[in-house]
Amino acid sequence: MQLTYLEAIRQGIWEEMERDSTVFCIGEDIGIYGGAFKVTDGFIDRFGPERVIDTPIAESAIVGAAFGAALTGMRPVAEFQFMDFIGCAFNQITNMVAKAHYRWGAPAPLVIRGPSGGNVHGGPFHSQNPEAYFVHTPGLKVVCPATAYDAKGLMKAAIRDNNPVIFFEHKYLYRRIKEDIPAEDYIVPLGKARVARSGRDLSIITYAAMVYVALDAAEQLSKEGIEVEVLDLRTVSPLDREAIAETVRRTNKVMVVHEDVRTGGLAGEISAIINEEAFESLDGPIVRLTALDTPVPFSPPQEEFFLPKVSDVVREGKKLMTY
Amino acid sequence: MAKNAKPKPKATNASSNHRPAPKAGSTRTYTILDYRLEKPTFELRQVRDGDAVRYEVSGTLNGAVPPIRDSKYLNKQQCIEIYRWMLLNRKMETALENLYKQGKVVGGVYFGLGQEACSCASAYALKSDEWLGPMIRNQGSLLVRGFSPRDIMMQYMAKAGSPTKGRDASSHFGDIQHKHVVAPISTLGDLIPVLAGVALGARLQGKNIAVMTYIGDGGQSTGVTYEGLNFAAVQNLGLVLFVENNLWGYSTPADMQFRVEDLAERAIAYGIPGVIVDGTDACQVYDAAHEACERARRGEGPTLIEAKMMRMKGHAIHDAAEYVPKPLFEYWKKRDPIARFENYLVNGKKWLSRADHEKLIAEVDAQLEADREFAVASPLPAPETAAGGTYCDPECHEIKPIFGVPKVRTGKPSPARRAGAAVHLK
Repeated sequence: MQLTYLEAIRQGIWEEMERDSTVFCIGEDIGIYGGAFKVTDGFIDRFGPERVIDTPIAESAIVGAAFGAALTGMRPVAEFQFMDFIGCAFNQITNMVAKAHYRWGAPAPLVIRGPSGGNVHGGPFHSQNPEAYFVHTPGLKVVCPATAYDAKGLMKAAIRDNNPVIFFEHKYLYRRIKEDIPAEDYIVPLGKARVARSGRDLSIITYAAMVYVALDAAEQLSKEGIEVEVLDLRTVSPLDREAIAETVRRTNKVMVVHEDVRTGGLAGEISAIINEEAFESLDGPIVRLTALDTPVPFSPPQEEFFLPKVSDVVREGKKLMTY
Repeated sequence: MAKNAKPKPKATNASSNHRPAPKAGSTRTYTILDYRLEKPTFELRQVRDGDAVRYEVSGTLNGAVPPIRDSKYLNKQQCIEIYRWMLLNRKMETALENLYKQGKVVGGVYFGLGQEACSCASAYALKSDEWLGPMIRNQGSLLVRGFSPRDIMMQYMAKAGSPTKGRDASSHFGDIQHKHVVAPISTLGDLIPVLAGVALGARLQGKNIAVMTYIGDGGQSTGVTYEGLNFAAVQNLGLVLFVENNLWGYSTPADMQFRVEDLAERAIAYGIPGVIVDGTDACQVYDAAHEACERARRGEGPTLIEAKMMRMKGHAIHDAAEYVPKPLFEYWKKRDPIARFENYLVNGKKWLSRADHEKLIAEVDAQLEADREFAVASPLPAPETAAGGTYCDPECHEIKPIFGVPKVRTGKPSPARRAGAAVHLK
């Protein structure tokens, strides 16, 4: 069946709720309204208000309550209306939830999900990619799917995982991509990257919406005889170190592309992993291509300037090939 | 009903929390239940004294010490048990103070001196399958929940055998399997939504339970306190929140944390019952806790209980609390929860003979001595145990609903009703 990225996520949560009565949803406007992006549309009719819980506008309460319920053996799926608002619950997530298993052996099987990412002219508070804060926090897993197939399979894996998983959906992709999803139950394991396109000349390591920017650039570079390999990380914590090293060993040249800002972003961490795992294979500098170190600007020309573009990737790719 | 008539829509569980109809008139009254036999009236102010600014207390500080209020629910045996927990709580903290002076404690020690009645009698109102989230001074609550003094001592000495295996300090530990205690974190108020969530999990599994946690006059200023209690109120969850008004948030007096006269008044704004108790009277604390727990078990939602007392030491052992005006210490020392409860049981009710009292004290001392020796002799963790355990591996925990498999009610599967609906930011 052809499903959009959004429908795939919706189906993933729905099927897990059908399969496992400990799974429930909690968040703002997710019930009768079906969520700001309609991910939980119709859930309340099917599963009832007991399992599809509309909350006050109180992100710390949402995460705290999800964690408390998880302690009793439930598997909550907590929606953030926009992932930009995750800062409101930062303490609950990083101090209460993430440290629980290490400190006192309490598993916290909960999913915190919601839309992230820009290119929809949402401005500084509806466009962010705050994944790096959580990648930096031991005890959390962080997922950033790029395809509808992966979004569904990773959602199911996240719900079944015994750890807190922050699930960054990309709102630009919600209704823009569509693909065939198998009818049968499947998961995409957390922590495993995928090769989105094979090539031998240059690797682009990326995730989420930037996978499509990388693929478009790869198509253009291919016309000029440069065969690009695109590695879609899918999960950014834990990172698939082996897949990162392997692609570098194959191509010897690497560019890391992400939509998050540059300083302290994942590209730095990925570069360090390459140093540690595949330094001998490098045949050129590791190139970072990221958003500017600014808040996400609102006006379309500014936002376009802010985000990495296909032309940027093509230009940097050609430059890298001169080494 | 006619055969084809549509059934009348029913209110769902989540929305059946009816408010009373508004009353006519331009003023409204609200009720706060106040169990106290004495209502202290004093005020704390910052005053300039020469070159220095200090706190000064004024008001009635020489009133007669009130008696213990007879409990409506506790029998003789239960009163003695609570008294024993309070004694164990205090004597354990004295032992910790000594261990600190001997250089055996890592970091500081936090005391609940003067607050033992509040910790012990509140936790005593919970059933074994109900849940509690303590604050740093509620070490008595942890004892009542079944942790031993050696657990707490080993936490303070950072021993390998501590409940957190050396990974965290003080009362920062918990147990989901047997004792149903949520480990606190250092930031305050964060336990409130978590305990509400525990009650939510239980309700989804078909059981209304009471869950209890605490917040101070200082901690109640945090935003998450509001978020958590409001969530519990809206969702009608069985949260019993003790607001421990011990008059000091570190060095800042309660008068500089809030403007209301009694923190119990906050309950009005949440639309839940508010109760005031003398936090140094174990019977009052228990009765209010018990009534709140019973409400919780009946599915009637949260209760806010303000317990008034005083922190009789500094914030932690390093803090001599010199900023506290001496008359305040003198006032509250006369209202010591243990001395008064002892007097009540031994001299008042004569439920505890002098011989039995001495025996009880000897047992507590012996238990503490054994635990102290065990804790002191136990090893520190191996350095490499710092690693690992950050994540729950598939093998380390089996996750299943602890109160029973949730009942599922389902409507018809619905296709995405508004798949192309107008949404924000396409």
